Amino acid sequence: MFKRIRSLFRAFTHRRDFEDGMTEELSFHIEQYTEELIQSGLSPSEAARRARIEFGGLNSIEGDCREARGLHLFDELGRQFRYAWRMLRKTPGFTITALLTLAVCLGANLTIFAVINSVLLRPLPFPESDRLVTIFNTYPKAGVDRDGASITNYYERRGQIPAFASTSIYRYSTAIIGESGSTEREQAMEVSPDFFSTLGLGPVVGRTFKEEETSFGTNHVVVMTDAFWRHSSNADPHIIGKKIRVDGNPTIVIGVLPPDFRFLSSEARLYFPLASSLEDRTPQQRHSGGNSIQMIARLRSGIPLAQAQEQIDAQNARLEVDDPQGKMIADAGFRSLVVQLHGDHVASIRPTLLLLQAGALALLLIGTVNLGNLFLVRAGSRAKEHAVRQALGASRKHITSEVLVETTLLTLGGGLLGLAIAAGGIRLLSALGAESLPLGSQIVFDGRLAMVALAAAISLGVVLAVPIAWLNLRRPLGDALQSEGRSGTSVRATQSLRQSFVVSQVALAFMLLAGAGLLGISLQHSMDVSPGFRPDHILTGKIAFPLKGYADDTAKVAFTEKLLNEIGQLPDVLSAGVVTNVPLSGKSGKSAATIQGRSPRAGESPRGHYSYGVGGDYFKAMGFSLLEGRFLTAADSRSNRRFCVVDQDFAHYYWPNGSALGHRLFEGSEQGKDADAFTIIGIVGSVKQAGLTEEAAQGAVYYPYAFHSGDIFVVVRTSMPPESLGLTLQAAVRQVDPDLPVNDVRTMEARVTDSLAARRTPALLAALFSAIALLLVAIGSYGVLSYAVEQRRREIGVRMALGALPGQIRNQFLLLALRLLAYGVMLGGVGACLTGRAMQTLLFHVPAFNLAILIGVTGVMGLVSIVACLLPSYRAARTSIVEVIRAA
Amino acid sequence: MAKPVDLLPGTLDMLILKAVSLRPLHGYAVLQRIRQISGEVFDIPQGSLYPALYRLEHQALIAAEWGQSENNRRAKYYTLTTAGRRRLREETAGWNRLASGIASALNTRPEEV
Repeated sequence: MFKRIRSLFRAFTHRRDFEDGMTEELSFHIEQYTEELIQSGLSPSEAARRARIEFGGLNSIEGDCREARGLHLFDELGRQFRYAWRMLRKTPGFTITALLTLAVCLGANLTIFAVINSVLLRPLPFPESDRLVTIFNTYPKAGVDRDGASITNYYERRGQIPAFASTSIYRYSTAIIGESGSTEREQAMEVSPDFFSTLGLGPVVGRTFKEEETSFGTNHVVVMTDAFWRHSSNADPHIIGKKIRVDGNPTIVIGVLPPDFRFLSSEARLYFPLASSLEDRTPQQRHSGGNSIQMIARLRSGIPLAQAQEQIDAQNARLEVDDPQGKMIADAGFRSLVVQLHGDHVASIRPTLLLLQAGALALLLIGTVNLGNLFLVRAGSRAKEHAVRQALGASRKHITSEVLVETTLLTLGGGLLGLAIAAGGIRLLSALGAESLPLGSQIVFDGRLAMVALAAAISLGVVLAVPIAWLNLRRPLGDALQSEGRSGTSVRATQSLRQSFVVSQVALAFMLLAGAGLLGISLQHSMDVSPGFRPDHILTGKIAFPLKGYADDTAKVAFTEKLLNEIGQLPDVLSAGVVTNVPLSGKSGKSAATIQGRSPRAGESPRGHYSYGVGGDYFKAMGFSLLEGRFLTAADSRSNRRFCVVDQDFAHYYWPNGSALGHRLFEGSEQGKDADAFTIIGIVGSVKQAGLTEEAAQGAVYYPYAFHSGDIFVVVRTSMPPESLGLTLQAAVRQVDPDLPVNDVRTMEARVTDSLAARRTPALLAALFSAIALLLVAIGSYGVLSYAVEQRRREIGVRMALGALPGQIRNQFLLLALRLLAYGVMLGGVGACLTGRAMQTLLFHVPAFNLAILIGVTGVMGLVSIVACLLPSYRAARTSIVEVIRAA
Repeated sequence: MAKPVDLLPGTLDMLILKAVSLRPLHGYAVLQRIRQISGEVFDIPQGSLYPALYRLEHQALIAAEWGQSENNRRAKYYTLTTAGRRRLREETAGWNRLASGIASALNTRPEEV
């Protein structure tokens, strides 16, 4: 078999040699025979004649020889390709319309598929990555769905869960790199020593972290990515053992990762040991994860996930027995869930992506139907040619393969253009903010995409060829040959096929439009949500404190005091403050608070609330609304009175009928000493910490920064455009501490806008798809009706000659268009309701069945298809009797 | 000389393999050799030889190489490959069984039944 393929391949690739050799060999034979005949006494001319006759038809023998090599198939195919090419070139209007339709529809699908492929399908870049899982604590009854893992969890689980080959924890962090005055902030990760072995991919040069490097003071070692190594040391081959300055500490480089190392969506370029004190590892800290530390593990080969889950549950149950907090934790519905790492990471965008792909497929279907229509029109106009050729002996196989070659040639061209569009589409998506999606920066154009494009193009070619071939073969030859003489009855079958195409097109476009409408209204509703503050004219920036110099709270408090003082002196600054977590920062950890003297109601589980430390005039700078009492101000930051402010949700939860003012609470989940209680001095509007579409009334507590310190966001309200303040803010920070960079500098409005990217992008894409779908429907309806008019010109002419009015003719066609529209809208309406239900989870404050949208879409569809049908209808009404009758 | 008979279908390949097995030959010589070794029994249409040669070459039963003919012309010479030799052996055995079977069937006399 292999030899034959090679022989065919050689004959095919050295086609010229093959042909020349064959000619030479055959003519050699004839000459030899001629000579023999001459020797036997014939005259040279007679001998030559006899030799040729006895040899047989040279052409057919050559054909047989080619066939013996399997070459005839290629010859045939080549001929059909050339024929199809000529036919397509002869009708540029048709070809360009078809190519554009294919390019746009395939391009849309390929773009979305590129995202699905890169985000959902492609495995994580680690060996046997399907064995990687993540384990997180959840306290659903306390409103905390996800709380990561604690350091204690790690030390308790490490080596104790037989289902796991390896367990590890990590935390995203940042590090300040470089010498004083020229520092840069780098994204980093702190990881446990077994992090790289859990992933199955570690440094190519050097080593990973050791157990003794996980305590404070011994942790000044770093593993860097290939990119950082190249960028910072010009790919120094002797980097191992050298020192770089990290957060002011000399830190030894111990390893360099391979170039393609990439953990989930992390942008980290530096990896440090995750250091902890012995105290951090005690059972008391078991539930203090706060979602900043995450745990991953590698399942043992062949062990199902459920088994790991059982073992984790069993261990948790064992540990809870002698946990003093055990009862409260159990009340909160505590569990540790084991889930696939990849699936978990992309779970949030999975439904959106699948929905968009469904939308793109609907678009492709509409486009295909349109093309089917166009091809049928074309087949109709070439019916006679085909009939003549069939009558002259062209085989059915031949006619079918010719149709197939033509459609496939077109779809392949469309596929190629579609790939080009997808390449642009991928870039457009990243401009629309796809990079902020999980794995979003890894969306690439790869071989699989090209293969899918090829497969899609070929199968589309086949799908398009089927109805045409069927029509060509089924049509009685006699009818086709005569159809020029009178309107053939077989035309009617085609016409009804094409009308059903239009109906399905209208229905599909209706569903797309309705879906886009639902997404658009959801976006509108989420943009209308008040974030709880006035986001205009605010600039924010993040400052993460290094351990060195900021080990205790007083240093941080002193820094913020000085910084706010500095900022307050800047011109155009109206007010400024700091907060430990700015709204919509992407982080939304919750923690417990306990009301003094209040015992939980029966069945009530402890609640997680957003907790903030605020300094300066944070509330004023953010423009929070004050409902009762007063704000915490700069004066409160300086005094050490234990005051706090809560939000409306918090106040309403604990004091639904009275005022929260004057009540006292403790930070944490237990009653404390009277001196540690915070007095509520003000109630502010609720804040949307996790996102504008957050529905849960989680409640928030604001403590003075001195009592709740940590990394800070600086918040500055200015009378200027806030963007212009960026450099000034950096300079002010440098003024106070030259080693501290500010990062994530963004206006509050930008944060609000960015937080909606996950809603905006799908809505925009759906709107784009719908617009294309409308255009395709318009083209489709126009095409079908024009053709119907064209087919019935004679009938129209005769009727007009017999006294029919142009208005009657026009209305007849408009009625036809309306009937098709009505069927399509009815089908589409049903489909739209089903689609709406399927996308319920993606909607925000919009019912899946939205009458306004259905009516609106009906209006738009009606307008588009009627406009598309007006032209052919009027043309029908203007049919000239004389012309028609003369043409007959 | 008896009237030439038409070849049974499928036997041309066998004859070509046999002819080429004796020594490398070009197409025209294959024809002459078959005529010679078969005692000029068969009438082989000249043109039909070449598709058969190409098919056998395609099946890698014979190999082709350009060389010089007796009168110093460039000609394509065919030789038997190992696979071809095996095929020839099988076909010969098969043919002999067939021929003897048919012969004994045709020679059967009434008293032998």
